[in-house]
Amino acid sequence: MCDFLYRRTGMVFNEAKRYYVDRRLIDRMLATGEASFASYFARLRSDSQNEVEQFINAFTINETYFYREDHQLRCLTSDLLAERIRAKKPGEAIRIWSAPCSTGEEPYSIAIWLLENWPLADSYDIEIVGSDIDTNALEAAREGIFGKRALMRLTPELIGKYFDLISPERWRITESLRQSILLTSVNIVDSAQTRAYRKFDVIFCRNVLIYFDDTSRRIAAENLYESLSPGGYICLGHSESMSRISPLFEVCRFADAVVYRRPKEGGRG
Amino acid sequence: MPLIRSRPDKPDVDRPPVDLRAALLSGSPEERWTAARIVAELRVRGDALLLGQALELEKDSRVREAIFTGLARIATSESVLAVLPYLRSDDANLRTGALDALRMMPDATRPHLEALLGDPDADVRLLTCDLTRSQAGPDAMRMLTALLETEPEANVCAAAVEVLAEVGSPLAVPSLLRCADRFRSDPFLGFAIKHVIVRLGSPSSVAGD
Repeated sequence: MCDFLYRRTGMVFNEAKRYYVDRRLIDRMLATGEASFASYFARLRSDSQNEVEQFINAFTINETYFYREDHQLRCLTSDLLAERIRAKKPGEAIRIWSAPCSTGEEPYSIAIWLLENWPLADSYDIEIVGSDIDTNALEAAREGIFGKRALMRLTPELIGKYFDLISPERWRITESLRQSILLTSVNIVDSAQTRAYRKFDVIFCRNVLIYFDDTSRRIAAENLYESLSPGGYICLGHSESMSRISPLFEVCRFADAVVYRRPKEGGRG
Repeated sequence: MPLIRSRPDKPDVDRPPVDLRAALLSGSPEERWTAARIVAELRVRGDALLLGQALELEKDSRVREAIFTGLARIATSESVLAVLPYLRSDDANLRTGALDALRMMPDATRPHLEALLGDPDADVRLLTCDLTRSQAGPDAMRMLTALLETEPEANVCAAAVEVLAEVGSPLAVPSLLRCADRFRSDPFLGFAIKHVIVRLGSPSSVAGD
């Protein structure tokens, strides 16, 4: 079962995660009405009623909130975008990819942060794409409804400006923000899927590589490298280091964050 | 509102080369990079041999990395044989690339470990100690304790001791003690062995202590 999951997602679950795996497996068996592991596994292997997607959805972790690790957002507006716009032709859009984007907090955070903190936001077209392997999470991202906990780091002013209160302690992100972000299903370990994603200036890929084994991490790193423009940046989670995964990227130390850069054309290598 | 909704890109922006072999062996760096990745992704016939051949010719460090990743992804005996010569390279990047690739395919690498631990080149033996770390079960400890009995280089023994701290058990203690005895004039090795024995949970009586 873990091997099946690994081949489909790159995520590694070993003996230490048995409880986590068992609980989700039992949930899926109950949801599908399969009485035995053998019958459930047969259903999974035949992908009956789209079970592979549901199975993968059950194993992903979607715990996040707005403005999480906002030092990287500060770095985005104080350093990274200034570097990137120097490489832009007139009229060329700035492209930012949030992968994985979970239930949308990260791509919406990037949008709000840029509108609030980047003085040049009105001078450039900005494209933000959010992608995730979990289609349930993507559906929630498209809905854009969030509870109090997800908004805990936003000021009341920001909540009032970018969200509509729809019921006590539930807010929906404004229609214009929802419409401005493209949300898509992508497995970042699958090169055939990431091939459609190119020329990004900045990629936020936070807290997902830790779930992969060494080989999947390397493949994901190469996929992300291809998705960046030369000179483009990648931001990882605070416990992740690209230097331990692949030598393809340059380490860039800015005042607010350490990020990684695809070397510029004619640069290293 | 400066935010604009992106259009999904066309998936064929990087159309795979028609002749992967030609692209891999004589294309531009970009073509070679793409071909190396696709050969491993599609598992084309003779993939590991083809990547091994490309690795011999490749001068671009970025393409080499893609080839190493591809070989690790294929993870066959042929992959390992293609990577092994680079453990002896004078180029530190190539050595590291080879080591990382072998580490990523522990099952395919396992049959070669004992021969590598007996290699005439001390650097190869030292790097191989690190490779045993990724081996499951008691194999790593068995191989490393056997090495400690005869290894003439203190640095190689130190590398083995370091890995034993993670993968060893009290059964490794007699070999550790004999190693400490053989290198009683090397204070660092004696110190390291003493601490590993404490960690492994066995009474310590390191020679010279």
